[in-house]
Amino acid sequence: MANNQQLTNLVNYGLVKAHIAMGLLFFIIVALMGFLYSLQLDGIYPFPGIEFLSPGRVRMIHTAGAAYGFLVNLFTGLLYWAVPRFTGYRVLSDALGWFMFIALQAAVLITVVGILFLGQADNVEWGETPWWIDPIIVFWLLLHLIQFGAPLFKASQRGPLYVSGWYISAMLVWTPLVVFMGNLIPRFWSAGTGAGAVQSTFIHDLVGLYVTPVAWGLMYYFVPVILKKPMWSHGLSLLGFWGLAFFYPMNGVHHFLWSPIPMFAQYSAVFATVAIEFAVTSVLINFMMTIRGSAEQLKYNVPLRYMYTGAIFYWITCFQCAFHVTLTFQKVIHFTDWVTGHAHLIMFGTFGLWVLGMAEYVWPKLFGKETMYSKGMSEGAYWLLAIGVFAMFFDLTAAGLVQGFDWIGLNPWIDSVNFSKPFWYFRSITGIMMITGLLMYAINFYKTATTAKGLTAELKSESA
Amino acid sequence: MGKMERFSFVALVAGIIFFLFADFVSWALPMFVLKDIPMKKVEDLAAEAKAKNTSAWSDFLRLAKIYFPEQFKKYYGEPNEQTFAEALKIGHHWYVAEGCWNCHSQVIRPVSNETLRFGIPGVSNTVSYPSEYQNELQAPVLWGTKRIGPDLIREAAVHDIGWQVAHLYNPESTSPGTNMPGYPWFFEKDEKGNIVPNKRGLGLLVYLMWLGSWEVKPPKEWALKE
Repeated sequence: MANNQQLTNLVNYGLVKAHIAMGLLFFIIVALMGFLYSLQLDGIYPFPGIEFLSPGRVRMIHTAGAAYGFLVNLFTGLLYWAVPRFTGYRVLSDALGWFMFIALQAAVLITVVGILFLGQADNVEWGETPWWIDPIIVFWLLLHLIQFGAPLFKASQRGPLYVSGWYISAMLVWTPLVVFMGNLIPRFWSAGTGAGAVQSTFIHDLVGLYVTPVAWGLMYYFVPVILKKPMWSHGLSLLGFWGLAFFYPMNGVHHFLWSPIPMFAQYSAVFATVAIEFAVTSVLINFMMTIRGSAEQLKYNVPLRYMYTGAIFYWITCFQCAFHVTLTFQKVIHFTDWVTGHAHLIMFGTFGLWVLGMAEYVWPKLFGKETMYSKGMSEGAYWLLAIGVFAMFFDLTAAGLVQGFDWIGLNPWIDSVNFSKPFWYFRSITGIMMITGLLMYAINFYKTATTAKGLTAELKSESA
Repeated sequence: MGKMERFSFVALVAGIIFFLFADFVSWALPMFVLKDIPMKKVEDLAAEAKAKNTSAWSDFLRLAKIYFPEQFKKYYGEPNEQTFAEALKIGHHWYVAEGCWNCHSQVIRPVSNETLRFGIPGVSNTVSYPSEYQNELQAPVLWGTKRIGPDLIREAAVHDIGWQVAHLYNPESTSPGTNMPGYPWFFEKDEKGNIVPNKRGLGLLVYLMWLGSWEVKPPKEWALKE
């Protein structure tokens, strides 16, 4: 069909495939790294005394790898699919795209070697990449800006951009600024408390100004496409975007409440964080009203179910955040596993499930097929991942309360370790669930790509 | 409304103006408020430790003259200001590289009885304050976001060198039930077959005994003469 032909020319399928495949591979690797680290907490680490598999180093691969290996790869792959399709223009250059693809994998691999074997880590949480890698990442992000900026710019010459375009445009500008700020300013242009303020801004901005806008941008594209109807309210889309754009960058200092950072910065962060929940709720209302009347699709459409499960987890995380960001809650839960649970629900439960859902929607189409290889594996992976991550969240939240009150009670330190052990055992079990789900998902992907059968979405008739 | 939906408007207003405003509030203004606190290099920290004869300095001399003299001579040479600075730098590098800061924070908050738990017993009730972080070893800052183990910013007042050596090699030996991993690669065997710290290990010990030493006020006779 003419229409299909046009779309094939718009999107470079190879780049989408390569990024999604690598992203999925890194997703499994960083999940395994997290699982390994959790075994150390359980006291049953399988590789004690091996220098390059020291749990401290493995944990940095878990976090830095999740940022650059898993999320950047998957998001970039999905952007290569979505941006040309909603703007109607190709990305700047395919050759640049392949160069960026190789450069990104090289940066991630050098980081892994640097942290595990060379002892070259950086003590910026979520920016554990060795500091000499960071300028390269900033340069990569500038290439990323022109690569995806070109179609967005061309489209906005023609008329107003679609909602996804606003989120992605802002993200393209924010991300290089954020990575530059968070990794280089604390090392070279400040120290101590000032550096702490920059680092906390960075931790949150990488979530708030890269992951969140690109993920919402993609959601605003994929959900209406799958449901075959427009978003419920354009006004709420505007409100959600501008609310996020104004309040999100100011949230960062809430990571270091009660620290030596001047109180006005801490108060502004608390205020901005509570304010952002209103923006988030407006976005959520928009999405929930969009699916109104089509909710039965959640029963059959696994990608859509991933997206709405992620959206509900997103709202839970943000609602939780509005409370635990206050100075009162921080007395108890700061430094505890509560925060770890929160981080996993947002990164895995929301953004992880979203990219998996979107990738599962895109993947068969890339190979000219209509559905995934196995419906059973699709469903199984979904339930393992969704139940696993929510159970982990619940478990770690409870563990955080136990730890927090135990520390306030001035019991011997080892008590808090012993009291946490049952929670940590359970956390490792949920980790096994999540990794099993991921492997199932990956096998399904592999089979979909390689099977000779033409997979069609036709319903099998019962009698035949 | 149409303008708000253009690439250039979004990139300029949301991407740049909002971002700069937030950075101004979140860290540029705090940095400006704190700008009068002098920034110390590692050499300044070493000079200060020696001049004030802090517990970090006396522990450093103990380590180099009494605990592991051969090892120290082999890797660093004579114990003086320069070698103290060098050891601090190496110790800090490996504290970061091993991800110690993933499980140990370096900040005491004024709430939740933290001053009682981590403050220096009988001496002070210290909450962390900005000037103690204004140095090269806190760039980027090591406050941390998670505690599996206890806070370390007053560590010099809590344990001595012998405890640190045993604990680094095998944490279970000093803290039964702990889930901290051992770090045998910071140690080696000397000619007699004793397990002794290597260059990295010595650096890490100096660094750990330096943490919070500026708050420890030892009795005069306790500090070691050169």
